[in-house]
Amino acid sequence: MLDDVIIPVADGLFEVGAEGVQLIGTHCTACQSVYFPRSLSCRNPDCRAKTVETTLLPREGTLVSYTVQRYRPPPLFRVDDWEPYAIGLVRLDYEQTLEVMGILSGVPLDAIRIGTRVRVVAHPLYDDERNTVMTYAFTANEVSA
Amino acid sequence: MSQTVYVLGAGAHPWGKWPNKTQLELALHALSGALGEADVSWNDVEAVVAASSRFEGGMGWGLHANEIVQAVAEKGMSCVNVGGACAAGAIAFHTAHAMIASGEHEVVCVVGAERMPKGFIPRPPGSQDDVTDEDYLRWVAMGATNPAYWAIEAHRRMHELGTSEETLARAAVLMRRNAVGNSLARFRTATQIDEVLASAMVADPLHLLQICPVSDGAAALVLGSEAWMKRNGGTGVKVAGCAIATGSFGDPARRIPTIASPVRDGVVHTSEVANAVAGAFAMAGMEPKDIDLLEMADNTAWHILAWPEQFGFFAPGESDVMLERGELDIGGRLPINPSGGFLSFGEATTAQAVLQICEVSWQLRGRAEGHQVPDARVGLTAVLGLGANGGSVLLSR
Ligand SMILES: [Zn+2]
Repeated sequence: MLDDVIIPVADGLFEVGAEGVQLIGTHCTACQSVYFPRSLSCRNPDCRAKTVETTLLPREGTLVSYTVQRYRPPPLFRVDDWEPYAIGLVRLDYEQTLEVMGILSGVPLDAIRIGTRVRVVAHPLYDDERNTVMTYAFTANEVSA
Repeated sequence: MSQTVYVLGAGAHPWGKWPNKTQLELALHALSGALGEADVSWNDVEAVVAASSRFEGGMGWGLHANEIVQAVAEKGMSCVNVGGACAAGAIAFHTAHAMIASGEHEVVCVVGAERMPKGFIPRPPGSQDDVTDEDYLRWVAMGATNPAYWAIEAHRRMHELGTSEETLARAAVLMRRNAVGNSLARFRTATQIDEVLASAMVADPLHLLQICPVSDGAAALVLGSEAWMKRNGGTGVKVAGCAIATGSFGDPARRIPTIASPVRDGVVHTSEVANAVAGAFAMAGMEPKDIDLLEMADNTAWHILAWPEQFGFFAPGESDVMLERGELDIGGRLPINPSGGFLSFGEATTAQAVLQICEVSWQLRGRAEGHQVPDARVGLTAVLGLGANGGSVLLSR
């Protein structure tokens, strides 16, 4: 695995900046709604202008719910070293609520708690010939002492 | 001008796995049953509306009504084929209803027939494999299966409303108990809470026996105008309400196959179905207290608890109490899925919503042998399909 090259599983899904990993979404400057993944327009029926622009989403949020997948998904989900894993639903820290699903990374399956503060990280899926292909995931924030 | 529409007859092919029959054979079996119950011949039928399947038949273009007509009655009738994924049967019904209510036709058949592929349902051809396609992202970015979506909802309910694992198991037990008396159902042995909880965990907290599998099956209806019915001495069940709908902005539901959604306060969960149910109630001038039975899409045990609350039958969390008190049983205050539901049938996607309407019509006619709701007079159906499709039909006698 290369240290400084992160290959997203889909182009335009997330990016890695100085602050860390951020999901790439769409922001409507008219009604302030946010969407993920990127959206062609604004779905708010009360919004007439629908002026949308690409935006980076907040990195932190709160776990709203989760599940543990006990069976391996079909092959479109490519992953090395498969084992049961958790998928969480996270409410991002944004003034207009956006709830995002993603793998929960680095959290023991028996220690997942709804309400936990989480942040976005990059999470390895599989190695192709040259690189490690990554998805985004959520991991629990360190509990402050 | 609008004329009242009646269900004149209903028919279905039993649900199961039927490797030696084609989708068309299942459809013809169901139609034959519906025409028989209605005492209507193909010469009386003016149109067929079919739910289009993406899996089999329809000449690869979803032309299932045309295929049926070419097989059994070449007489120039109108054919309409409608898409709507798992809600296609309800949308087909809605179209057929409109064709009669408008005064254009007197007798129209509705049909949904399905043979489901083995294993996981493949992604359809022609999709973009990129970041703009959420049905692509949900697989490559996190491998989110359909049960994962429902399980996230079930966990949220347990956290927010205190639903127990036992109550979720009890909902599955109820469906299988209802199916014991229904010869059309596929899984007809009763089960118990400990057996449900001992079945394999698929996606926490949902076990195998709390998630509907896929099946093959077919269902059909004959609809007619009130005037035609009276002229021909038939008997029918009145279509008091009938509506289709899509979702509302800000819906908190984890809608398959999306991976994120903007959530707004005060928006009903699974709004596409709740909106359709509200439409059916409005058309009928009725409300939840008027309903004697509910046939709804129970893809999982969670749905049996959540949906009646979302439609206004119960306050949030109240379904659990109703279930435990037996009020959702046949003979209870609001029998849910006396047929046995998706959990006992397995989902034959495009046929499922038609079957729900067949079931309600039989209940109201007193013909639900082995699983009859006593003195059922008004019944409601509710179904959800991909693409935020909701459909609901309200029948009364
Ligand atoms: Zn907007």
